[in-house]
Amino acid sequence: MNRNQLFSLAESWFASQNWTPFPFQKDTWTAFLQGRNGLLNAPTGSGKTYALWVPIILDYLKKAEGKKHKSGLKAIWITPLRALSVEIKQAAERLIEGLEVPFEVAIRSGDTSVSERAKQLKKMPDLLITTPESLQLLLATKGYENILKDCSAIVVDEWHELLGTKRGVQMELALSRMKTVCKNLRIWGISATIGNLEQARQVLLGPDSEAYHNSVLVKAVLHKKINVQSIIPEKMESYPWRGHMGFHLIGEVAKIIKESRTTLIFTNVRSACELWYQRLLDYEPDFAGEIAMHHGSIDRDVRIWVENAIRDEKLKAVVCTSSLDLGVDFAPVETIIQIGGPKGVARFMQRAGRSNHKPGKESLIYFLATHAIELVEASALKKAVEKSVVEDRIPYLNSWDVLVQYCNTLAVSDGFFPDDIFNEVKTTFCYQAMDRDHWQWILNFITKGSQSLQAYDEYKKVEIEADGRYKINKKSIATHHRMQIGTIVGDAVMQVKFMSGGFIGSIEEWFISKLKPGDVFQFAGKQLELYRVKNMQVLVKKASRKPTRFASWMGGRLALSAQMSELLRQELYGANHGKKSPELAAMEPIFKRQRKESIVPESTEFLIETFKTREGYHAIFYPFEGRFVHEALASLLAYRISLLEPITFSLAYNDYGFELLSDKEIDMQSVIDNDLFSTSYVHHDLQKSLNATEMARRKFRDIAVIAGLVFTGYPGKIVKAKHLQSSSQLLFEVFRDYEPDNLLLQQAYRETFEHQLEEGRLIQALERIQSQAIVWKACEKPTPFSFPIITDRLREKLSSESLAERIAKMTASYMKGI
Amino acid sequence: MLLISDVHLGKVSHFRKHGIAVPENAFLANFRRLTEVADYFGAELICFLGDLFHSKKNKEWDIFCHWTQSRPEKILLVTGNHDILKPEAYAQARIIVTSEFVTDAFLFTHEPEIRENHFTFCGHIHPGVTLRGVGRQFMSLSCFYLEKQQLILPAFGEFTGKWIVEPQQHARIFALTPRNVVEITLLERNGR
Repeated sequence: MNRNQLFSLAESWFASQNWTPFPFQKDTWTAFLQGRNGLLNAPTGSGKTYALWVPIILDYLKKAEGKKHKSGLKAIWITPLRALSVEIKQAAERLIEGLEVPFEVAIRSGDTSVSERAKQLKKMPDLLITTPESLQLLLATKGYENILKDCSAIVVDEWHELLGTKRGVQMELALSRMKTVCKNLRIWGISATIGNLEQARQVLLGPDSEAYHNSVLVKAVLHKKINVQSIIPEKMESYPWRGHMGFHLIGEVAKIIKESRTTLIFTNVRSACELWYQRLLDYEPDFAGEIAMHHGSIDRDVRIWVENAIRDEKLKAVVCTSSLDLGVDFAPVETIIQIGGPKGVARFMQRAGRSNHKPGKESLIYFLATHAIELVEASALKKAVEKSVVEDRIPYLNSWDVLVQYCNTLAVSDGFFPDDIFNEVKTTFCYQAMDRDHWQWILNFITKGSQSLQAYDEYKKVEIEADGRYKINKKSIATHHRMQIGTIVGDAVMQVKFMSGGFIGSIEEWFISKLKPGDVFQFAGKQLELYRVKNMQVLVKKASRKPTRFASWMGGRLALSAQMSELLRQELYGANHGKKSPELAAMEPIFKRQRKESIVPESTEFLIETFKTREGYHAIFYPFEGRFVHEALASLLAYRISLLEPITFSLAYNDYGFELLSDKEIDMQSVIDNDLFSTSYVHHDLQKSLNATEMARRKFRDIAVIAGLVFTGYPGKIVKAKHLQSSSQLLFEVFRDYEPDNLLLQQAYRETFEHQLEEGRLIQALERIQSQAIVWKACEKPTPFSFPIITDRLREKLSSESLAERIAKMTASYMKGI
Repeated sequence: MLLISDVHLGKVSHFRKHGIAVPENAFLANFRRLTEVADYFGAELICFLGDLFHSKKNKEWDIFCHWTQSRPEKILLVTGNHDILKPEAYAQARIIVTSEFVTDAFLFTHEPEIRENHFTFCGHIHPGVTLRGVGRQFMSLSCFYLEKQQLILPAFGEFTGKWIVEPQQHARIFALTPRNVVEITLLERNGR
């Protein structure tokens, strides 16, 4: 069959479904059938699935014409979220049936049963839908080369979600292997709109690779109007100064829910999700049974139920987190409410796009600022949506942890020869700058557990066989490694179960550790009493008492992107002039208060405020550059001040500014006189400040887990594995003290700033500050601008005082009685 | 008598044997420090208050045997929950093993225990203390925890971690710094 014949097959199937192919779909079909790779830029719900399933099938029909069907893997579809796989499978099945192709489609993910997975290994389906982790696991399977050799296409869906994460790096590595193993492979990515689409294609295919040169970028041009509304209270005085939950506007939210078909309420963190759900029920008891909750820690079956209920229009509203950001077409959803700043334009637009999910219809999203100053963000977001500003997703470079994991993976399955793998790995974007020394370091690390030449201890992991093959032979180590592959995020999570049986969800260990048996907490919308904790399982029973605590999760603090910060500054610097947006107009009482104590800065001014409270001496700086830049700036400045005199700082930051808190007054005049915002020696000073703070320690946690240094245990055998457990904190300390040049340790330092923040952005910020006039306000008390920062609990410290000096000023506290 | 608690020898090697690449140098530091301390005090008897060895036998035990052979002191081990080696192994290291040791009014055990008319020296919990100061400063240090009737020793070994104690009223706390041991000022906690 020629291409015209194939196309008409597909088109008549489309016609039978009452659809017409979009131009972008046909462009993709053509490019694919020409044997090219590519990146398809198309949003969710645009028909992107058929843009690629169709040519995969057509290509088979072309090749198989007149031949007998041969079973075996033909194509792999990668999805970052397991939840999406069912829908992708159904789409494929519909097409296969329509075109009468003898294909079998199957899902392989963490949810697939062991027996089902074993069956697949014996006889692979023709089309396989899987996740990046499960693909890695496939590479950890004996004989994987044979399984993959006839696979002629791989599609990486939602590539923008993977890019800029270590799961994306896992994909890069898997693809580098597949390019060799699969005889005739086409690689396609699908991405929503991001700032660096061209780079996204390079990362997917390998910079300057053959695959890249034989590739195209297809853009689906679908304009969708987004209507952004801020929920502004009539009286601004009652607005809280610092970030909270936004419950003072619960009445407005309830009203919106009632007026719309189905509403999705997005919160930024799971704990806020839990709280909002409960509060809505308390506020409007009639909502019982009509609203639900959805987040990543809730049991999968419950989540699937909620998703189906949305589709069937059984729910008025769902409170959710990013767990509902992707995929899944929810036709009845009419309205979106975003609670708290979404911190990124792309995320905000994606969420907005969840409503009125039909081409041509307008999306409606309400923004609820949780504290007064967030209204500036709302105003900036509106502008961003108008101008279609979107962020970049910055890919990782030199992620040695993922490479260590990958080498172990290959060693677990059939073993590998280092020279072959070096050449493959070198073609990826992430490891393009890797040299032979790095590679040798990785090999030494997995075979000897160190770089020293003497092999006198009993370290055992990867062995070098007589023919030079690197292989893991010990069964327990292989099992352990397979277990680790899925855990690329490294929190100790515990399963929450009813005593009578029944899985409710998973929760982080640190939260449970704060509870005692008998305590009542709320989780997954239920009031639960802790009975006991055993073997990483939390046993609970239903409680009738009111909960005293709400489940919460660490991490997940989002930072304003560079693009958003820029818009935010423009908004704020406009606060003193001209025509204001409704949001800024509503904020006037706050600005008035701010001006009374301090100023609302102009674009030519850089504001510093100092004041004293019971907690100590506060110095607040306002660059309005977003959290990541502030983290770096705060450490840099704290470090430079600490050179002037012995001093200890506690550092806090948000998207607007940062704070240096100390037990003694900073000589601000000398900070200004000494030109501490200078761009000279930035790199050097930043490095030094990093060593002085503990940020790298936190980064190291994830790295240690990915590289297999933190033993997470075997399920069901947790107690037995306990003698191999250690905290990543402790590991960090031994590495720092005894192996400071370890590449994984150094990676922790590097990633602390480098990944989120190109140093360039920091230098630009410093240059901007240098062009501004510094306005130092010594205030009597905290200002509205400072309030959200000084009340932030998550802090970093930096000190140039000696330990003895510091201890002398500190105390511990005892419990009275007993 | 020199008291040493919770060395957890062999932990580093144990991890390495199972494919977790903890730096080898970390265990050498334990031996360096043992020698330094023993030389400094020149005691007649070294008494290990339990958890001397982390788990099953590995090469670190051989190194430890060399070390004990080179020492003039008598060596006593009050066993802890981690000490699961065979009697031959202890004999090889010329260590006398006991589950507890009493002399005069003093009791030496691994786990904390209050016994009438005795003062206890023990380990087991790896005590640590969290210090707070103005300006939201805080830090955690290993410490000695002293009560009326017992002294709990900090863990001696590298790569052992610590457990933050909640001091009781009238307890005294002595924190470890790289140079010396400092008594910590204790304040009553304000009710929340």
